Amino acid sequence: MAVAIAGITDGIERRPRARADLARVAALVALLAPAVALLGIGLVWPFLKMLAISFQDRFPDPTALTFANYATALTDPYFLRITLRTFSLALVVTLITAVLSYPVAWFLARSNSRWKHLVFLAVISPLMVSIIVRTIGWTIILGNEGLINALLVGLGIVTEPLRLMQSFWSVVVGMVHILIPFMVLSIATVLGKIDPGYAEAAAVLGASPVRNFLKITLPLSVQGIASGSVIVFCLTVGAYVTPVMLGRGQVAVLAVTIHEQMVVLVDWPTGAAVAMVLTAGTLIVLLLYGLFLRRHSRR
Amino acid sequence: MNPTQILTGERALKAYVLLILLFLALPIVIVVPLAFSTDVSLTFPPHGFSLRWFGNILARREFGSAFLNSAMIACISTAIAMVIGILSAIGFVRFQFPGRETLLLLFMTPLIFPAIVFGAAMALMLSPLGLLRSVWGLALAHTVLIFPYILRTSLATLFEIDKSLHEAAYTLGANRWQTFRYVILPLLRPGLLAGATFSLIISFDEFTVSMFLVGPGLMTLPLEMYNYSEFSLDPTIAAISTVLLVITSIAILIIEKLVGLGKQFS
Repeated sequence: MAVAIAGITDGIERRPRARADLARVAALVALLAPAVALLGIGLVWPFLKMLAISFQDRFPDPTALTFANYATALTDPYFLRITLRTFSLALVVTLITAVLSYPVAWFLARSNSRWKHLVFLAVISPLMVSIIVRTIGWTIILGNEGLINALLVGLGIVTEPLRLMQSFWSVVVGMVHILIPFMVLSIATVLGKIDPGYAEAAAVLGASPVRNFLKITLPLSVQGIASGSVIVFCLTVGAYVTPVMLGRGQVAVLAVTIHEQMVVLVDWPTGAAVAMVLTAGTLIVLLLYGLFLRRHSRR
Repeated sequence: MNPTQILTGERALKAYVLLILLFLALPIVIVVPLAFSTDVSLTFPPHGFSLRWFGNILARREFGSAFLNSAMIACISTAIAMVIGILSAIGFVRFQFPGRETLLLLFMTPLIFPAIVFGAAMALMLSPLGLLRSVWGLALAHTVLIFPYILRTSLATLFEIDKSLHEAAYTLGANRWQTFRYVILPLLRPGLLAGATFSLIISFDEFTVSMFLVGPGLMTLPLEMYNYSEFSLDPTIAAISTVLLVITSIAILIIEKLVGLGKQFS
């Protein structure tokens, strides 16, 4: 009996509730649809189009589908060398950025200094300065008639200006400069959430500062380093301005090659295949990060 | 660890932080003195004092029109991204639904998607539509790029608005629209203005994606600066950079006054 009554009232109440549910779903769809449309038209569609072109033998009028573009992108020594250089550049930049940023993040998360907010502003303000301005700044510093050479020649350390531009390392310096703010923010966010009680407890129990840092704080902040590294790696792999302006044609990376293939050589299918290799590389890094997060949260 | 050790440690840390700040600031501020130099190339140290390079910006028409193009594209894409961003932020804050976290993550992909790939793909899509070298093509690309930033600030600001304010407004007889218009929007305003300022700057400075979408007849300022620097590295570039730095500083001050710059990145 009770069940029957419950069933009846259920039936009576369900109808308006279902209508309310439907209204809620409609509202949600209406709120999210523009964003889905934007990313569908503005990101997914172009990407799929490019994926399709990477399998075409010619562009714009294909006669057959082929894997030849991928064969070229993945086995041609020219492309292989550039792929290798791009990913090693990203790795080097990520490592240097992480090491340089950690103490700054530590300062932002832990210090009681009254300058803290100003330091914070000084770290993130460069993010809002045009990348062209910043790269031109580096050419003024590193150029043959630049700041460093003026100092070195003026002090009599060298007689001829050193060639500091047009090298792998000048690109590294420029990239590290652009990416430090991202890394500092990622690490500082995680460091700020760590309960200082852990480190204090370890200190009370006799852990030396070094041991304390290596065994307590560093493992707890590794997630900030990881997320910062993913951002830095992805942004370095896709960077164009810095390798072109500071490498001056001597440091070919995938971004430069993709642009060259497509715009200068008008070979869109090969360019598209190279672009897909680049995208796959960043996807692998993201997947590794996802795996890391799962393992990390399980512990 | 005794107190002296802690003190030296802290001093060393402060000195290190100062060093990194100098590293971050040096390439940015170094363009300013060169903008006023009388040299005909970007040499250090600069000699003399002149304003002729600033005059040269005005004399060369292409910089003026590129500036206007960039400003127009930045305004259009920020306006569109604001509407779409706020709507979806409300969706994420007010509703719990399956796949919510995944969708949010997908919405953030433009932040880390390789710019060079996005630019090339965009060109492939826009060219058959006849939207290459058009303000609308560029605006679409920039809207995609700044959408995650707007979504993030809107989410952060919405989460801070007390839910009880909604209920209070309803109880007092306001309908859904009135609640949004007279209660939520005013509370959102500083966060949104800061997010908009930030997006304007991001769009205005965008280079890699725009590179594929511009051409003769439609250039943006960063591309025009790059092209100019390709054939002559004279202080005109430093002068434009100085003007941009002044604009950026004003934008940073606005954001800092409204909500604090940190909000944009958390």
